[in-house]
Amino acid sequence: MSSPTSLEEYSNSGESTNKAPESGNSISPNNVNAHHYHNDDMNNFIMDNEYNDYEELRKSLIVKKRLSSKSKDESRLDRYQIDKNSLLRLPTEILLQIFHHLDRRDLYALLTVCKEIADLIIEILWFRPNMQNDGSFKRIKEVMELPRDKTHWDYRLFVKRLNLSFMTKLVDDELLGLFVGCPKLERLTLVNCAKLTRFPITKVLQNCERLQSIDLTGVTDIHDDIINALADNCPRLQGLYAPGCSNVSEEAIIKLLRSCPMLKRVKFNASNNITDECILVMYQNCKSLVEIDLHGCEQVTDLNLKRIFLELSQLREFRISNAPGITDKLFELIPEGFILEKLRIIDITGCNAVTDKLVEKLVSCAPKLRNVVLSKCMQITDASLRALSQLGRSLHYIHLGHCGLITDYGVSSLVRFCHRIQYIDLACCSQLTDWTLVELANLPKLRRIGLVKCSLITDSGILELVRRRGEQDCLERVHLSYCTNLTIGPIYLLLKSCPKLTHLSLTGISSFLRREITQYCRDPPPDFNEHQKSLFCVFSGHGVNQLRNYLNQVMEERTYQIDQGDIQALFHERRRRFLGGNNNARAAAGGDMDLDDDPINDDTIARRFGQLQQQMRADAAEAGGNNGLERFMLQDPAMADLNRDIFRGITEGDMGPDEMREHFQLLIRTHQQQRLQQQQQAAAATPTGRQRQANPQNAPQIDQTPVFPNAERAGQIIEEDEDVEMEQVDLFPRNTSP
Amino acid sequence: MSTPKVIIISSDDEKFPVEQKVAEKSILIKNMINDLNPDGLEEDFEIPTPNVRSNVLSKVLEWCEHHKNTVFADDEDEDVKKSLPVEEWDKNFLKVDQEMLYEIILAANYLNIKPLLESGCKMVAEMIKGKSPEELRRTFNIVSDFSPEEEAAIRRENEWAEDR
Repeated sequence: MSSPTSLEEYSNSGESTNKAPESGNSISPNNVNAHHYHNDDMNNFIMDNEYNDYEELRKSLIVKKRLSSKSKDESRLDRYQIDKNSLLRLPTEILLQIFHHLDRRDLYALLTVCKEIADLIIEILWFRPNMQNDGSFKRIKEVMELPRDKTHWDYRLFVKRLNLSFMTKLVDDELLGLFVGCPKLERLTLVNCAKLTRFPITKVLQNCERLQSIDLTGVTDIHDDIINALADNCPRLQGLYAPGCSNVSEEAIIKLLRSCPMLKRVKFNASNNITDECILVMYQNCKSLVEIDLHGCEQVTDLNLKRIFLELSQLREFRISNAPGITDKLFELIPEGFILEKLRIIDITGCNAVTDKLVEKLVSCAPKLRNVVLSKCMQITDASLRALSQLGRSLHYIHLGHCGLITDYGVSSLVRFCHRIQYIDLACCSQLTDWTLVELANLPKLRRIGLVKCSLITDSGILELVRRRGEQDCLERVHLSYCTNLTIGPIYLLLKSCPKLTHLSLTGISSFLRREITQYCRDPPPDFNEHQKSLFCVFSGHGVNQLRNYLNQVMEERTYQIDQGDIQALFHERRRRFLGGNNNARAAAGGDMDLDDDPINDDTIARRFGQLQQQMRADAAEAGGNNGLERFMLQDPAMADLNRDIFRGITEGDMGPDEMREHFQLLIRTHQQQRLQQQQQAAAATPTGRQRQANPQNAPQIDQTPVFPNAERAGQIIEEDEDVEMEQVDLFPRNTSP
Repeated sequence: MSTPKVIIISSDDEKFPVEQKVAEKSILIKNMINDLNPDGLEEDFEIPTPNVRSNVLSKVLEWCEHHKNTVFADDEDEDVKKSLPVEEWDKNFLKVDQEMLYEIILAANYLNIKPLLESGCKMVAEMIKGKSPEELRRTFNIVSDFSPEEEAAIRRENEWAEDR
């Protein structure tokens, strides 16, 4: 199934973050688009939606002559008097308002009531022929195939919106050819109609002088013919999405820009024929532009773009990528104090010449920016993040992937002022540490986190994020692929506290590359090689729930076993059963595996669940840390004080990131010792204290006694036969001291 | 002196004195009052409504009286408005014969009383929903001017609209 609009298409195909396991690239040219469309609440501006159909219909039909009003006044009076009871006495505007409350079926019934009503209904029905499902698609096709003088009406005269993006597999040249000669066509949406060639598109455009928008996203055969047809026939064109326009010549583009002065939205991607000359013509002729998308137009420089920002006061969205000619001079013409009131979205992905200087200037002249994409602008440093922090509440979306110079310090300053951030991508910012997660925990509206390949991140950071954000977290998508230090425990807690999570990527992290876990992972893309496939570990939609259920299950079982004091035997029994075949059947049964063997009844589950959580937290803490600090972080009350201490030093001075990290560690260590002392005192006072983590006499014992002889191998990259490895590695490895 | 009234005069010259608040449910009347009395009403103010007969006007004013304290949401969100069912009181109020219903709708349109117009239109839509063409003709007193062949052709060619 294809999706209705380009925008929806984008947001569905969204996160292909893990498409390249070897490089760990967090963005590919396609999902760059996905990213900034997603949270754009100006979706009303999309090229084709049904939102204002009624308003448009009303405007066009209200002036339509009715059969009853065509006759002479006298007879009209007659009619008026005779049919006091008739619906037809109501004026068109009111009839339309009534029909607005009806669905298509009822309109269809009205269609054959009488000619006068049919005249209105037929325009409403064919305004936007419904091509959204097989049945109606086929029927409409059949009608269009009849000779146009053999049908009761020439339906082409009524079509104003044509959207063929719902059934793209059925859309070929022949089908589109049926719509040649729709003189009133206003919107043509051909998103992902990849089979189409330029020929029927060009023909359909003939005489469409009312065309307002055309969306050719995903159409492959875009040539000068189409662009020329638009220039020649469609002087009122406002929207042109033609991302695949690399074969269109510079002359055609220039001619189009000259012929269509009402253009508001243009998208030309990956074309070397979009030149500075095109940009010049663009700002000279198209003063109403609100959106310019030039992703991958590498020839464009800031020579003329500079003027765009000055000349086009309506500009709201600007995107370009991989253009070496974009430099810090991009905003240099904008005078001091001049504000780009409307600019909300800026994306300069992969424009490597850009430095902090540009970002500083940008923020000063566009204070209402909501989406900022600076990914792969390698020269960007924390200074840019400090500048961006001035955007404050405006900033909702920030992409800084591959900005390798960024540190925790920069993230910290950004997050403190921009607490409305919903989307943050910091993929491949390899200097970032757990401290970044501590900062991100403070964003109340955060929905997506991208930390692919931030390999300094550890379990401590995830635990801290979970602890601070609390239950019922609003996070929806979390990307942690290639954060190689992570283990299962903290991810389990993350899953538990984020009920809205629909995407979790853990590609290339050895702790998760085991069959119990990956059975819930979605299929790797078909073009992956074996190595890539073996590393792939992404959970989405239902897979996330399955993983959560499974881990819950395991935790319950484990608690039970610990209760019974016979951990090892039971655990190995479970694993033996798992590996002993029926893997597929069990996988299909989802989280139900083992359940029916368990002698736990419902009453005890609830009780054990509480214990399980404590157990789990203690385990997780041990699994991840080397200084046991997580255990303290998880014991809430005193942590607030500690955190205040930590950040008191930081917020005041201008400490460098390294110093800061040391400071952070030192404070935690001090605190840890204090806690230990307190606990020992407490234990001495109440020797019956049963809880493991509150019992200092027990805790070290457990640490010193390896529960599983090979557990120290946990966390290593799995190279040998996976099954063997699984026998040896504890699912929730304990930190065992030698 | 008591508060000045607005006196609305029907096409058949009947006078309906009402509170200003009630009369101003009609945006047309409201604007007229404001335009002609920039300093507010100081004495009774007469407004003729040559398009509305007395029996209809009294109905419309009954509605205005009932809703004089109702705050209607701005009509910004078309979709929300569309999906709301007709309010129970309005529903009963509009249980009248078709002629009266259309008269009320026309008057609400002329006087610019949007919520009343909307309720009226929804009532008519309810009368249309789920009926066959034949039932519709009967309900609305319409004689078909299509030949059986024409009707069959139209149905065939637009069958797609029956799909949900």
